[in-house]
Amino acid sequence: MSAADASTTTPTRPTKPRPSPIRYVALGAVAVLTWLAASDLTGIGLVTRLQRTFADGIPERTAEIFDQIMSPDWGILGATVDPFLETLAMAVLGTLIGCSLALLVAFGASAITAGGRKRLAGTKSVMSVIRSVPDVMWALIFVSAVGIGTISGLLALILFNIGVVAKLLSETIDAVDTGPLEAADAAGAGVIARARSAVFPQVLPNYLAFSLYAFEINVRASAVLGLVGAGGIGELLMFFRNRFEYDRVSLVVVEIFVFVFLTELLSITLRRRLTE
Amino acid sequence: MSTVTSPPDTGTRSQRPDAPTGLGRRLGFVIVLVVAVLAWNAAGLQIDKLLRAPGRIIDLAGLLFLPPQWDSFGIAMSGMLESVQMAWLGTLIAAFLSLPLSLLAARNVSGRFGSEAVRQVLNGIRAFPELVLVILIVTVFGLGPVTGTIALGIHSIGTLGKLSSEAVESIDRGPLEAVDAVGGTWAQRMRWGVLPQAMPEIVAFWLYRFEINIRASAVLGVVGAGGIGAQLTETLRYKEFGRAGMAFIVVVGVTLMIDAISGRIRRRIIAGAAVDHDIGTDAKMALETDPVIAAEAGAIRDGEV
Repeated sequence: MSAADASTTTPTRPTKPRPSPIRYVALGAVAVLTWLAASDLTGIGLVTRLQRTFADGIPERTAEIFDQIMSPDWGILGATVDPFLETLAMAVLGTLIGCSLALLVAFGASAITAGGRKRLAGTKSVMSVIRSVPDVMWALIFVSAVGIGTISGLLALILFNIGVVAKLLSETIDAVDTGPLEAADAAGAGVIARARSAVFPQVLPNYLAFSLYAFEINVRASAVLGLVGAGGIGELLMFFRNRFEYDRVSLVVVEIFVFVFLTELLSITLRRRLTE
Repeated sequence: MSTVTSPPDTGTRSQRPDAPTGLGRRLGFVIVLVVAVLAWNAAGLQIDKLLRAPGRIIDLAGLLFLPPQWDSFGIAMSGMLESVQMAWLGTLIAAFLSLPLSLLAARNVSGRFGSEAVRQVLNGIRAFPELVLVILIVTVFGLGPVTGTIALGIHSIGTLGKLSSEAVESIDRGPLEAVDAVGGTWAQRMRWGVLPQAMPEIVAFWLYRFEINIRASAVLGVVGAGGIGAQLTETLRYKEFGRAGMAFIVVVGVTLMIDAISGRIRRRIIAGAAVDHDIGTDAKMALETDPVIAAEAGAIRDGEV
């Protein structure tokens, strides 16, 4: 019967769905915003700007700097060891303190463990303010308050870590298995006992992974905090740069790159181990 | 105790398993402690300075925000606008460059060898902090927002490429096989087999990166690369605390606003049109939790990012 039907009526292709108008609106908005931003930023339009930069060949001074960058001054390698140790120390301390505090904050920022709507809303809004301020900006403010040195950098890293780790961890807590929670509730556990025995064991591997990730971010961040006077290798970078010693700038940049890259590899490898 | 007896025929009493000794945990604790002490010494922290810090921070907060200096609001806003523009363009640059790289880095659509190579390249790009990139790029493009934009664009390629390749790796193989079956080329496989599935998540990552880049661009001015960072550095240096405080307020306010808008769009993109209708708890959940943060958290846990 169905075969007879098919032979009498020619099969029609289903009509192609029309793309949603939202797509065009979105694309248009992106294009307009981009155009406005590009022309406003460069004053003369990005393309013109690029053309002008390269039109008359590369200026002599730029070529000179480029030569210097290409030949790092390996002679000062020894002098960079101590600032690097300082940077590493800042990253380690920042991670330890920041991640410990982040654990507490994360429990306050998940609906499951906060123990009250008011506490949840309070923690969440404080957290989003902390997260909206970049690490270097915290460092600027702490340098202004406490003075130049590693303490300012450390404080900046701690706040920044709380922002990152608490956010990631609280989202993980939101998604825990509710079985142990029910068991804890049935046994009459309080807010802390509940978090400690029903939630913490479930999120511990994640917490350790996030902490390793935070360490990786800290190494990268602490390498530049010195640019605003917050201790570590960044201070040396700024010093050479202000003296236009680009061969030394180049060496420090290479070192930062190697340092950060190795930390990333280590952190990624450890995190893979952790969850296998 | 007398009524309950162990099984008589085995002859051995059933034993409780040994309580865990907690040796590993204690060892870990000791190691962490030792590392902390070593780091404390290496950082050269002075305890008295640290103890005085909270008081000083509160003093500074008073200078910055009490009362807010509203007459410098306009200047702060124009600086922040430049930062936002830099973040927008930088993100676009990174989006365009990272998309092809993410396809090459995905293990399911790229060669095994090639994907690993591209991954390491992405790691390498990410290892240059934005501010360090600025110091290098400024020699070519000079001081100003163009330098900052390019630095943001380059640095973002790393993370964006890796997160996007995660999205590509989680696609359903069906459409890919269909394209293969009709003899599609590599480009056609990507266009019809991969992108329609992965694109919503990738676009959400782009928006998320835009949110992050706004924070990053707000400090690029520290090294002369445009945006509100220059205002912040200078006002703090010359102790114009009222203006600095206003700049701080504007950074926080604008960032939170854009976060809220971008966050809504991201969730809408991932949850799809379902959110617009009244469709039960699943989509409501999708609005409550942040799928991009969840994806990022997963990638971090698995050591993929």
